Amino acid sequence: MFDPILNERQPRIDRLQLVALAGLMFLGAAFIYSATMVNETAQSAALYNQMWFRQIVWYGIGLAAAVTVCFLDYRSIARWSMVIYWLSILSLVAVLIPHIGSTNGSGARRWIDLGFFNLQPSETAKLAFIFALAHFLSRPVEELWLVRNFWKAIGLVVLPFLLIMKEPDLGSALVLLPTGFMMLFCAGTPKKYLFRLVGGLGILTVFFLVNVLFTPPGWWQIRLENYQRQRLLVYFGVDFAPKNATAEEKKAARDEQNRKSYQVRQAMISVGSGGFWGKGWHKGSQTALKFLPAGAAHNDFIFSVIAEEEGFVGSIIVLTLYAVILFSGIRIAGQARDRLGKLLSVGVVTLLFSHVFVNIGMNIRIVPVTGIPLPLLSYGGSSVLGSLIALGVLQNVYIYRKGY
Amino acid sequence: MLIFDQLKKNDPHLRLLAAIIFVGLTILLVGLWWVQVVSAREYQAHLETQSFQTIRVPAVRGKILDRNGIVLAENRPVYNVNLYLEELRQQFQKEYARLRPKKIVTNSGPFWEKWFGGGSVKTDYVKMTHEQVDDLEWQARYNVAYGAMAEISRELQKPLSLSFAAFKRHYTARLFMPLPLVENIDARDIARFEEQSLNVPGANLDIQSMRYYPYQTTAAHLLGYLHKDNRSDEGEDASFDYRLPDYRGAIGLEYAYDTELHGRAGEKSVLVNSLGYRQSETVWSPVQPGTNIFLTIDLHIQQGVERALKSAAVPQPVRGAAVVMDVNTGDILAMASSPTFDPNDFVQGMTRAEYQKIQSLTAEKNRATQENYQPGSIFKPIVGLACLENGMDPKALYKVQPDPEEPWHGAIFVGRRKIKDTAPPGLYDFKKALIHSSNSYFISNGLSAGVEKIVEMGRRFHLGEPIGLGTLQETAGTFPDAERLSKNWFNGNTANLCIGQGYIDVTPLQMTVVAAAIANGGKVLWPRLVDRMEPQEMGPNDHAIVFPKGRVRDHLGVKRSSLAILENAMLADTEDPEGTAYAAFRNWPHQKTMHVCAKTGTAEIMDTRNRLTGRTTWLLSFAPFEHPRYAVVVMIEDGGSGGGTCAPVARKIYETLVEREQMNVGQGNTVAAN
Repeated sequence: MFDPILNERQPRIDRLQLVALAGLMFLGAAFIYSATMVNETAQSAALYNQMWFRQIVWYGIGLAAAVTVCFLDYRSIARWSMVIYWLSILSLVAVLIPHIGSTNGSGARRWIDLGFFNLQPSETAKLAFIFALAHFLSRPVEELWLVRNFWKAIGLVVLPFLLIMKEPDLGSALVLLPTGFMMLFCAGTPKKYLFRLVGGLGILTVFFLVNVLFTPPGWWQIRLENYQRQRLLVYFGVDFAPKNATAEEKKAARDEQNRKSYQVRQAMISVGSGGFWGKGWHKGSQTALKFLPAGAAHNDFIFSVIAEEEGFVGSIIVLTLYAVILFSGIRIAGQARDRLGKLLSVGVVTLLFSHVFVNIGMNIRIVPVTGIPLPLLSYGGSSVLGSLIALGVLQNVYIYRKGY
Repeated sequence: MLIFDQLKKNDPHLRLLAAIIFVGLTILLVGLWWVQVVSAREYQAHLETQSFQTIRVPAVRGKILDRNGIVLAENRPVYNVNLYLEELRQQFQKEYARLRPKKIVTNSGPFWEKWFGGGSVKTDYVKMTHEQVDDLEWQARYNVAYGAMAEISRELQKPLSLSFAAFKRHYTARLFMPLPLVENIDARDIARFEEQSLNVPGANLDIQSMRYYPYQTTAAHLLGYLHKDNRSDEGEDASFDYRLPDYRGAIGLEYAYDTELHGRAGEKSVLVNSLGYRQSETVWSPVQPGTNIFLTIDLHIQQGVERALKSAAVPQPVRGAAVVMDVNTGDILAMASSPTFDPNDFVQGMTRAEYQKIQSLTAEKNRATQENYQPGSIFKPIVGLACLENGMDPKALYKVQPDPEEPWHGAIFVGRRKIKDTAPPGLYDFKKALIHSSNSYFISNGLSAGVEKIVEMGRRFHLGEPIGLGTLQETAGTFPDAERLSKNWFNGNTANLCIGQGYIDVTPLQMTVVAAAIANGGKVLWPRLVDRMEPQEMGPNDHAIVFPKGRVRDHLGVKRSSLAILENAMLADTEDPEGTAYAAFRNWPHQKTMHVCAKTGTAEIMDTRNRLTGRTTWLLSFAPFEHPRYAVVVMIEDGGSGGGTCAPVARKIYETLVEREQMNVGQGNTVAAN
């Protein structure tokens, strides 16, 4: 397939993926503009204070970072992977400390205020985790048969997982699990171990859900932030009120539930009312009338803005762009020079896919609401930076692929 | 396809990954297709209901004018002070921030806090539960609204109130509408408000239209009044989120012509944001203003008639009615009923005591059309006409027998029953019998002509049948028909009928039609109350709808000579010194131009034990004798006698008519005479 002579003319980078990337960045800037420029106050703000402009700046910074990553062979970066990993673990610990980690007004401590920008350590930790796990798993397959190494690998996953859970940022923590699992699988970890892992996780998940959804108060319950519990209850349609509650308590609980399911309901109304062709760019009424919460429209719910304004057509375009990036990523994994490259690619692809699936899924209520961004489309420096660097890593693996 | 190549790859791990991603994206695609294509309509409906509020906007009601275009019912602007809550949002937030409990905390942070220069003492907001936040928000909003109200109260120097419950109700249910603070403020308050309102944010002076009857009690019964009714018309959208106040006709012409006067309500929709505050307004369907209605009433005559009626020599308030009709066109020039009321009170609201007063006087009743009255002797012209048509010789003399008990009075025996006669015993021909109103003469002749002939003649005048004014103020009266005659009808009944008592009831309006038919040569006309309807603003394509004049309901089909005999006899009633109405019309200054033909009547009202409880006194008349133009009927409850109580009222009415004609000559326009 890769004739050495033909390879001379092979492009050094995956152009198709870059086209899709450019498309997503264009959409991101356009719809962040649409979602935020809803009133005169927003329009009269200084350019550098306008979200869409900031996003473009972040695209620029992210692209520069990605290009920088491409200049270095991924193998030489991977040598530093454990250092990067522990540094990011350190940042995850730091963010938990009050007065270092900032809450940005929300209930969770997820950001470190660097003055010019709020770093979200979980975003960088995702990348560091992929590098570390890929580096660890790229050892000879035989070594993976050792139980010790299997548990070490699990440990690499669980450590950032727990720290991110602690922030709390359930969504960002959960996407680590499929990513880690897919990397273990592609690395050639014995099926036996994986089945046990899946079985164990399955039992844990069932236990977790039963505990959260059905345990009456007073019994032992898994400690979750109240809003996390409520999100799950909303998703599974379970009443907030315990069975023995009085009518008044039940009503209060129902009101509470309505409030909590408000975002999802509004997101679905946005998506659904877009119809096939959409209402046209900047013509969506859900954001203009602030039915979609102003803090969320350009952020975790950017997809509902696109879906409302561009309709099903817009949805197909977005899904197609992601499909191009994901499948070209798998192709890069297939062409990778070594197992390290393959595992890095698999990690990046799975991570991106998990984000896309969870984020879009929550807009149409097939996934519970978890605050994770839609890569490249959602507003947010850390997320954009992380995603672009991840794609840079993919290109890096492609540049140094087999037979080139 | 290029991007799906991996599915065929021989690396099973990557193939599985590709398959998982393919399935995942397909799930999303199907989900999106379901939400955006299959269920799109449902979500669009959701979107509309949550962001639009529809408001029903009533049309401007048409005016009611008299025949010369003088306004009898119009719409007057009413000024209300409203509070626009969406303009207060920033203040709500400020107030909330002010109310929010704070505490001073000594730093309990980690020990390195000081290394980073963190202070050890600072203020922080106290954490609150959701309910507490909610309560505090309500408190903040209420404080702001109450403050604005208090400020306006101070400016207008008028005590106002706004309860927390009322505010909360308005805020929860119709935030998209302004909050009404004061309704119907007077000119002085408007000026005060305009001068000072600039420092009350959100407060605004809004205009609302309210029905106004500038002549207050004049023609009140005829015009009727309105009551509040916001309901949708037929074919109109029934599901409004809010309805601005609207009125429908309750009674009278306001009711009869409500559809035309009311016009068609429009629809306005307000785009609201997620918090329910108003964003913008769109008019969906514009209002169609109601049409103006021109009556046949002449305000000058109406006022004269009402004055004349009130001047009757009976204890006040006079209970009676008077109707003036153009005998050729059927136009009702005046229709008065007393006691009367002010329809403005019904629109603006009145106290319980005021309403009870109206009730106790039965002032709401339009006595000209709404109540059954025994006609008494004013029915005799009809009996006379029936007799004349059936061969009675008007010159033939009839001897009235003296009453055995009071020999200076006449009397007639029907069977064993004695019926008294006010006329003294003696010889009577038709004319003399009519002007003396001899019961014996008309009973005797009526009996010989036969009750069927009298009933047939009465039926030709459409007695006992409604006119169909549509004002909810009408009674048909009572009049025997063939069926009634066929059972339990005796000579005594006929005798009673001949003097307008017993099984007969009429309204003053019906008797006016009778008078007009006698005057105009035998045409029974439909009374005409409305002359024409015109759009409020006449466009080039608009035209008035004019109701035809002189619509004939029936022809009497009597000989001209019979009518002439009757008319001559009625003329003598006012001009012959023996006539019952002579006293009232003595020295009538318009002898030349306005000969009045009249018949008086006094119906005795008996209770169930046959005791006299009151008299319904009447005067039925038309003028001038030579070429009649006006029919005038006056009815007064519990008067002394037709000649004594009603004839002076009628004289005043004719004076008004003469005066009005002279005014018209001066102004060069015509009123009644065509």
